[in-house]
Amino acid sequence: MPLVLLLLPPLVASLLAIAVRRDTRLVGWSSVVLNGISLIASTWLCTGVLWQEATIIARNDFWRVDALSALLTLCITGVTLLASMFGPGLDSTDHYDAAQIRRFRIFVNAFALTMLIAVTTNNVGLMWVMIEATTITSALVIPLHRTKASVEASWKYLLICSVGIALAFAGTVLAYFDFVSTAGQLPNALNWTVLRDAAPSLHRELMQLAFAFILVGYGTKAGLAPMHTWLPDAHSEAPAPMSAMMSGVLLGVAMYAVARWKVVVDAALASSSFTSNLLLAAGVLSVLIGASSLVIQRHYKRMLAYSSVEHIGLVSVGLGLGPLGTFAALLHLVNHAVAKAMAFLLAGRILHRYETTEIAGVSGLLRVMPWTGSLFAVGVLALIGLPPFGLFVSEFLLVRAAIATGHVWVAAVALLLVLVAFVSLLNHLNRMLYGPVPQGVAVGERAGWRVIVLAGCAAVSLVLGIVLPWPLTMLIDRTVSIVTP
Amino acid sequence: MDGVFAQLIVLGASGMLLTGLIVLWRRGVPAYITAYRWQSWLLSGLTAAVGYLGHEPQLYWIAALLFLLKGIALPLLMSATERRFGTHRELRPYVNTEVSLLIGGVLVLFAYVLTRPWMAVTELPTRGGLPIAMALLFISLFIIVSRKKAITQVIGFLMLENAVALLAVVGTYGVPLLVELGVFLDALMGFLVMQIFIYDIHETFETIDVEQLARLKH
Repeated sequence: MPLVLLLLPPLVASLLAIAVRRDTRLVGWSSVVLNGISLIASTWLCTGVLWQEATIIARNDFWRVDALSALLTLCITGVTLLASMFGPGLDSTDHYDAAQIRRFRIFVNAFALTMLIAVTTNNVGLMWVMIEATTITSALVIPLHRTKASVEASWKYLLICSVGIALAFAGTVLAYFDFVSTAGQLPNALNWTVLRDAAPSLHRELMQLAFAFILVGYGTKAGLAPMHTWLPDAHSEAPAPMSAMMSGVLLGVAMYAVARWKVVVDAALASSSFTSNLLLAAGVLSVLIGASSLVIQRHYKRMLAYSSVEHIGLVSVGLGLGPLGTFAALLHLVNHAVAKAMAFLLAGRILHRYETTEIAGVSGLLRVMPWTGSLFAVGVLALIGLPPFGLFVSEFLLVRAAIATGHVWVAAVALLLVLVAFVSLLNHLNRMLYGPVPQGVAVGERAGWRVIVLAGCAAVSLVLGIVLPWPLTMLIDRTVSIVTP
Repeated sequence: MDGVFAQLIVLGASGMLLTGLIVLWRRGVPAYITAYRWQSWLLSGLTAAVGYLGHEPQLYWIAALLFLLKGIALPLLMSATERRFGTHRELRPYVNTEVSLLIGGVLVLFAYVLTRPWMAVTELPTRGGLPIAMALLFISLFIIVSRKKAITQVIGFLMLENAVALLAVVGTYGVPLLVELGVFLDALMGFLVMQIFIYDIHETFETIDVEQLARLKH
């Protein structure tokens, strides 16, 4: 029942956008309401997973929601709701025509649906199909304003991610091949639970090869270096709500797929640290590239995109550090979803007012847009990992996990790079907030309902940093016991 | 019987690899489309053969779908795109023909090395096709990174899809039907979206040479 309520609303919203051509306001608001229903359903799933049974299984094992899936659905539906509130067509102030609004509503909702199916299905083959489908649905929204830069960004995104994801499928086939040649053809052989239970009898070398393919494949979608080259372009050229979804949750969904496969491959490799080492290496490289690219950024949306590379690198490092690190990584994923979605939506508002994406072109933000400016400052400070925001807690836990598991050098490098990111982000932020107001930019801003929503995001990030609510820690604890049994 | 089966598989898979190599040494897009069509026909034939000799009747459906979609529909669509933009030729790829073929050879060798542990664990009569499928996979990747025209990159992507499908057929007698259908749908949608983007690129840049796409740097 909650599963139907979770998956049906985005489907209905997408179909509604196809059916209703003229009334963009109706389509927009109904998609906000439907995504709200989805969010309630995912909260319901989370409470179900916490209080009643550990996993919710439907349709003969086809759908399976455990703590990990529930956590991801919560992030996805939350950020989708935000994106639909900030999407075009709700009021008359934005400069999109009806066809563009229609395209946005159809594909954003389809995008949300594919991500939700990817995290709730038990079949790793179907998971792959859905993650591939996220590329297609999201690529169509990036060039909403057809400019040279946005067409180029979406072509790059589409091609690199399709190729990457094809490699992930090769990895899936490899694992399936190994399963079939040891256990014979079984009807549910691609189910994650079946693979996990059969894993100890699988061949080590083959599973290592399979994991390498899978990490490169899904890692491309997750924006792990060196496969991250599409990410800064796509995230900076997409409309702001789309950037929020891609950066806030799509990267997380790809890491979810990696985590699922890590469980299977770890079971096959017994006590080896093969997967952890690969994740650590990819993670440290991503943090390195993310942080060092932040130093030279001239565009604030690209700055946020590179900060995503850095944060997803930290998540990958966390997944490679055993149970403590996995806890930190998942908490980091949630914190990042909140803070980054908020920051991208605010960046969209700044772009709308200043009509430039260059940091040098934006000055005096606090005077021009007092609300947006101060919230943007809060968002960037949260992304830097300053206390009292959530990301500080998860980064702290991550470093502690690295030291506790004897990876002192990882802790040292991560801390150093986080410091580099800290200094450069603060520097860029400083330039945007203060200084003279450029000519031709209107000064002053009314606090509308959107500002209240964004302030709500800031509050959530603050709460996650100060008290760390116990239902969330309990949910993540359950998740950790799934990922590192 | 198994001997003939094994030889048939290796023959068909090698044919597919050859059609992949054609893209490395021919320059005209029509030749690439023909190569892709032949490759898809071979893939469809192989799938049917594995279905018959491996007693997997569901593979007949997949073979028929492969033939209709990848053997007929996609090449026709691509020819239409090609005609619309005039005869485009890969005049100066990033890597020239001689070096391309050399790299192709190295990739085939690499595929054989990579699949050795894998060949050791299986007794399937179709296992001879595994390294060839891997080789086709690497060559398709190489096509995508070394060619400039958007349409050639799309062909490389489609050949990559074919390589993975070949891998699934010779390695496991096909993945479960539901997943297979999903993969089909994705391939079709992905292709159509790429087709849309080729038009977009053409309209905004007035060329489909992706070398022009170099605005986004840092």
